[in-house]
Formats: sequence, C-alpha cells, structure tokens
Amino acid sequence: MKTKMDFPNINKRKPEGLKENGKPFRVLIVDDSMFVTKQIGQILTSEGFDVAGTASNGEAGLEKYKELYPKVDLVTMDITMPVMDGVTSLEKIMEFDKNANIIMISALGKQDLVKKSLLLGAKNYIVKPLDRKKVLERVMMTLK
Amino acid sequence: MRVEYINPFVEAAFNILTEVLKTEVKRGELYLKSSSMPVLGVTAIVGLAGDVEGRVLFDMAETTALTVASAMNGEKIEKNDELCKATITELANMITAQAVTKLHEIGFQFDLTPPAIFTGKNMEITDVAIEALIVPIETTFGKIEINVAIREKK
Repeated sequence: MKTKMDFPNINKRKPEGLKENGKPFRVLIVDDSMFVTKQIGQILTSEGFDVAGTASNGEAGLEKYKELYPKVDLVTMDITMPVMDGVTSLEKIMEFDKNANIIMISALGKQDLVKKSLLLGAKNYIVKPLDRKKVLERVMMTLK
Repeated sequence: MRVEYINPFVEAAFNILTEVLKTEVKRGELYLKSSSMPVLGVTAIVGLAGDVEGRVLFDMAETTALTVASAMNGEKIEKNDELCKATITELANMITAQAVTKLHEIGFQFDLTPPAIFTGKNMEITDVAIEALIVPIETTFGKIEINVAIREKK
C-alpha cells in the first residue's frame, strides 16, 4: 500500500497567506456587496489567509478594525459604500493606526478617489472586475 | 436617441461579460422601442442625471441570471436569493462604470444611481418621454439585453 511517505512533497509551495512563522495573515474585508466580499474571501482563504472580519460600510469597517487591532494585517476597502464611504473610513483608520495596510477596491472611473486614497495612506488599489491573480498580486505586493 | 450613448454600454458589457463569464459573447442586432415593452424577469436598473439623463437596464431571464451568478461565484446558485441579486448588481456596476468612464472621456458629465434590481413575471417598462435602444447580448448562459433610454438635458 502506498503511503504519504512514498511521495515526499518536493517543490511544495508555501501558501501566500501564511507568515514566516506559519500563522495566517489576518484580513478585514470592507465592502457593501455580498458578492465582492465572498469573492475576495474565497480567493484569500484558498491561499491560507484568515478572513478575520467583514463589514458592509466604512463606519462598520472602522469599528471592526479597532476591535481586531492589533491582530489585523490587511484591509480591503471598497470605495463606494453607504453610511461612510471607503475613503473616509481609510482616513479614520490611518488616524487610528498609521501603519495600517489598506488596499482600495475600485470600479473603473474612480481614478480621482483612488489617487486621494493613496495620498491618504492606502498602500495599493485593485480595479474591478477582480480575479484571483490580480487580487493575490496586489495583496502580496502590499504585505511584502 | 443618439447611438453614441449606447455604444459604450454595449462595448463595456461585451468586455466585462467576456472577462467574468469566460465564455463566448456575441452582440445581436440593435433595435428601437418607443412604446411599452416586456422585461425578461431579472432586471438591474441604473439611473443617469446630468448633461444626459435617463436610465439603463440590464435585463435577463431568471434562468440566465442564475447561471450567470453561478459562473461568477464558482458555485451552483439555484435560487434568485440575496447572493444572486448581489452578483447581478455587481455585474451591472462593473459594466456601468466602464461605460461611464468612456462617456466622461468624450465629454458627457453626469451622475449615476446605485443599481437596483427588480424581479417578477409579466412586467413591462414604459418610457413615455425617451425612446429606448436595445442591444441583445448572446452568451452561452442565455440572452442579456442592454436597454438604454438616454437623452441630452434640455
């Protein structure tokens, strides 16, 4: 009978979502679309990231960030949301934690808001439609 | 209604649908409607107000909405539930954002409403003041009609 020992894992790739110590990066997803939240969550969990929390508007995102802090490594932040938009939420999170890693999620045509977000401290941005490659590339660029 | 208003929507729908559905997408023949017309069953509506005003519908049968949402989520969606509606809303969002960027580039300035979804059987839409141009987009998941009724503000 074949056992696992018969096939040692060579070239086994470490999932992108794990830190050097083997623990997962913890991510907060802030988006008012259930579809986008699920899509980002699926992409990240498939690489070993831990989705530590989700929020459906900027205000709830800010609260969630404070609640999770310091055990949160990355935030994905939608730009257009009800109650509090993503740019305001970013600004408030940066006031609370100037080292926050925040990636803005933008629809096409929001270049001015993306630029403003980068000036306010966002580390990166992703333009929708999202796909696995695009999301992982930007996330890893931000975390490295 | 000027055809240049609809082209950015058709191009954007073609680009986004090809990208997110990863399937062959074909553009059908454009047609004009100035009276009431039936809608297919699951319809996302986006309003425009500014230099131009009106509305855009992304209209499809419920079976199409379910297969499109299933493809976009990578899992079988059997009911037109909250996730299905959120997915179709996001699809409308992405198409509209790309189209509007193009329209802004050629000089039209206007604001958009967030997409709303309406669903049901035997529904009609009537645009009394603006005629509508419709472009059917054929995908392997079924037909999606881009229905645009826009006019320049007087």
